[in-house]
Amino acid sequence: MILAIILVVAAAVALIFILGAAISRRLQINAGAGLSQQIQPIDVEAFRTLADPAEDEYLRRRLPAAEFRLVRRERLRALAAYVQVAGRNAAVLVRLGQAASTAADADTVEAARRLVDNALLLRRNAALALLRIYIALAWPNSGRAAAPILHDYEQLNGSAMLLGRLQNPAVPLRISATS
Amino acid sequence: MLQAHSLLWHYLWLAPNALLLIIAFLMWRSELRKAFPAFFAFALFSAVGEFALYAADVLPSVTAENFWRIEWASLLIEGSLKFVLVAEIFSRVFGSYDSVARLGRILIRAAGTALVLAAALAAAYAPRNMTFGIVSGAHLLSQTIYLIVSGLLLSIFLLSAYFGLRPSRPVFGMALGFAISSCVHLATWAVSANTRLPASGRVVLDFVDMATYHAVVLIWFYYLLVPSKVAASPAVPLPENNLEVWNRELERLVQR
Repeated sequence: MILAIILVVAAAVALIFILGAAISRRLQINAGAGLSQQIQPIDVEAFRTLADPAEDEYLRRRLPAAEFRLVRRERLRALAAYVQVAGRNAAVLVRLGQAASTAADADTVEAARRLVDNALLLRRNAALALLRIYIALAWPNSGRAAAPILHDYEQLNGSAMLLGRLQNPAVPLRISATS
Repeated sequence: MLQAHSLLWHYLWLAPNALLLIIAFLMWRSELRKAFPAFFAFALFSAVGEFALYAADVLPSVTAENFWRIEWASLLIEGSLKFVLVAEIFSRVFGSYDSVARLGRILIRAAGTALVLAAALAAAYAPRNMTFGIVSGAHLLSQTIYLIVSGLLLSIFLLSAYFGLRPSRPVFGMALGFAISSCVHLATWAVSANTRLPASGRVVLDFVDMATYHAVVLIWFYYLLVPSKVAASPAVPLPENNLEVWNRELERLVQR
């Protein structure tokens, strides 16, 4: 009987999630036009500085161990915030790219495909980077946390700009900013 | 006939399968058969299997034991096709994107392994009926298939939701219908396999199963065969920004 209850509850939870996904898909289709406004520009230079292992090494050499751990944790929390925004932006760009992939122009379709691929890569790396950041938060003396994501984010900028130019040559799409 | 059934019972057993045959026929006449071969095979074999089972149920010459043998054969074929269909849905959602296809395959294999273990555990702890082993075995096999299939489909939904991927309309319809059917059937078969329900309770579960399947076939019909209202997506409006400075800066970063 307990087994039946467990399986029924599991099936109900799965069903609720799947129906929720179906409803959110419908809402996404309706809200397609406002997608690009959901992108939050990111300060790439600040992100790069935070992700730079040389900066960490410098701080490690200059600060006492306890203070270094404190500072590094603060930097990691800031880095996590950047990565979360980058990941959210990537998800929006996936949807933008998928929406653009139905265009009649072959160049736009190809740029959209590349954008989606890069955005998915970034989304994946954002998850992995967040995992590493949270591990580093527990052990602040560990090494690099998010270097690969910076490279992917830069690549993604290139793809998004190319798609923006192809769709509307006058108004390229921005996903990064400086402070 | 194994037991007396109402008109609604006959309708719910036959109508979705007739509709599924129509879907298979219309897919065969269009490009959809080539685009979704696993779903086409599933629609065809599932409908034919259910008609054979229905005939075995109503024909007086078919014994109860033979009915359950046919049920077993149908379950095995349909179960295998369901796994092929899950693979087809997965490849349609993630296959065209190199960046996540490999990770997706790893995650889905891990989920599959965990689900097989969970299904084996659930089957091991289920009560056995030695007198009607062929019946309780069929219930357990159904529970096992639905547990694994619904778990795999949930994994696909979770992954695609995380990545923000929107599958094409037919793929989404196939996955949605299949997932609803698997979850509801998992719940009903879990109750059937793990409790001692009276006959009236089993009839209620059968009605829930059949009504759900009817709704699911209608979902498939709608998503696969009714054309989308929006013929083509409008161009995505891009935000207006004073980006010239930023573009130069970003291009410098990209090329560094």
